[in-house]
Amino acid sequence: MLHFLQKLGSSTRTNFAKLGRATYFLGHTLTGIVDVALRPRLLLNQLHSVGVLTFLIITISGLFVGMVLGLQGYNILSDFGSEEALGIMVAASLVRELGPVVTALLFAGRAGSALTAEIGLMKATEQLSGMEMMAVDPVNRIISPRFFAGFLSMPLLAALFSMVGILGGHMVGVGLLGVDDGSYWSQMQANLDFYDDIVNGVIKSIVFGFAATWIALFEGYDAVPTAEGVSRATTRTVVNSAFAILGLDFILTAMMFGDI
Amino acid sequence: MDNSDISADSLISVRNLSFSRGNRKIFDDISLDIARGKITAIMGPSGTGKTTLLKLIGGQLIPEQGSIVVDGLDVHQLRRKELFHLRKRIGMLFQSGALLTDINVYDNVAFPLREHTHLTESMIRTLVLMKLQAVGLRGARDLMPNELSGGMARRVALARAIALDPMMILYDEPFTGQDPISMGALVHLIKSLNTTLGLTSIIVSHDVAETSAIADYIYVISDGKIAGQGTPKEIEASESAWVQQFMKGDPDGPVHFHYPAPNYIEDLLASSQSPSRIAVKQKAKKTDESLNAKGLKKTPSRKRGRSRYRRED
Repeated sequence: MLHFLQKLGSSTRTNFAKLGRATYFLGHTLTGIVDVALRPRLLLNQLHSVGVLTFLIITISGLFVGMVLGLQGYNILSDFGSEEALGIMVAASLVRELGPVVTALLFAGRAGSALTAEIGLMKATEQLSGMEMMAVDPVNRIISPRFFAGFLSMPLLAALFSMVGILGGHMVGVGLLGVDDGSYWSQMQANLDFYDDIVNGVIKSIVFGFAATWIALFEGYDAVPTAEGVSRATTRTVVNSAFAILGLDFILTAMMFGDI
Repeated sequence: MDNSDISADSLISVRNLSFSRGNRKIFDDISLDIARGKITAIMGPSGTGKTTLLKLIGGQLIPEQGSIVVDGLDVHQLRRKELFHLRKRIGMLFQSGALLTDINVYDNVAFPLREHTHLTESMIRTLVLMKLQAVGLRGARDLMPNELSGGMARRVALARAIALDPMMILYDEPFTGQDPISMGALVHLIKSLNTTLGLTSIIVSHDVAETSAIADYIYVISDGKIAGQGTPKEIEASESAWVQQFMKGDPDGPVHFHYPAPNYIEDLLASSQSPSRIAVKQKAKKTDESLNAKGLKKTPSRKRGRSRYRRED
């Protein structure tokens, strides 16, 4: 029993200490906006590796998620004879929920893990220390551009995901199952609200992007600088990002749509 | 020894420095001076915190106690900006080279110049080629770091370290894992750079022969204390048994060859594996402590102990 309490106390302490380091790290990263503004080239490079290279997985996943939504939605809606509502159903699910959440999960898996591994290895090979000794702040020079790149990419990737998903739903619903083309689009146009649905979805994706990139970069920066340490940090990135994204999603949804 | 007479022409003076990692004391109240324009070597077995000392000098770590004054500036009292300014005048050669792996040799050497100066690209080109020529790698400028051999990577890192014309260079284990030819090249380079550029060099190493060949003054560190100091000749003639063992590389001496263990015969005859393992562990711990109390410690045991501790952590 005493042993259990001791363990509990020590892990609580470790975790709070880590949270403190992470917060300090975030503050330090945000000050790097000056460097990023002075050298947009750094940001562009990272936008490419964090954002553009994630393009393909997002597009393909979006397409399939949209197609499945079209199939499942048609099955349920046709029981009530309201297949025409397929457009709004697909669009609302994607824009409000699936777009930001699934994109963020994929983003954490594809870009987040890559960021952690890259930063962790830079730390393990003393590149970060080396930079520090060359009087270059590694957080501002290396971390900040990656952070802002992730933060900017996420909403765009989520928008892409929703867009491709709606097209996928259209392909299945209209192309295969025979829903009326006009009602697919007009129902969507009439019922999707710009502020309630689209803006809220974008806010979600911004929050997720912030959290996922922060976690990925911090885990890399805080990794034990050995092969084992970096691999553990990469795992933690994916796991912690998933928890953070899903937890935050519940909180945000409750605030936006929950009428609480 | 009276330190005050040296400190007049010393570039770095370390006073009463203490530093620990976890419960382990790495430096216990040590004081040392690094003379200006000379090559000073800091030697000791691996794990004695030689690299830590360089990180303390560079201001990357903060000591628990004591001060480090570099060129009249107390490193740990400086503000961030002043510290960065000081670091521009210090070159550091990391053991791994610490080259940036995503850019080629040329850009690596150009990196500090681009970060800290407003020189035009053509002037940077001239400087980079000069530095690469000095280390004999002008022809390798287009290679990526992963295409370099260990010795070449270290020479590139050296070119980068002297890019900003620093007042001193800190070498972290420059000779480890080098073949005799690149070792010779490095020894020659360190010596010649020191004289031609008027640098102050600090070499942290456990390669006794190479280091004593070029060092003007040597400090031998063991268990957080300075075990011996002097010119290479004085160190060679040192009366301390520990220093003698270290310099000659004798397998047995004050530092024992065997990791503390229970009686060999008993251990071999022990029937089951696990209880005896526990006994080994407990006994090893005891012997370890008693060794510690005598101020003796075998390095491999430290390392193993540390990683075991870390895993539990």
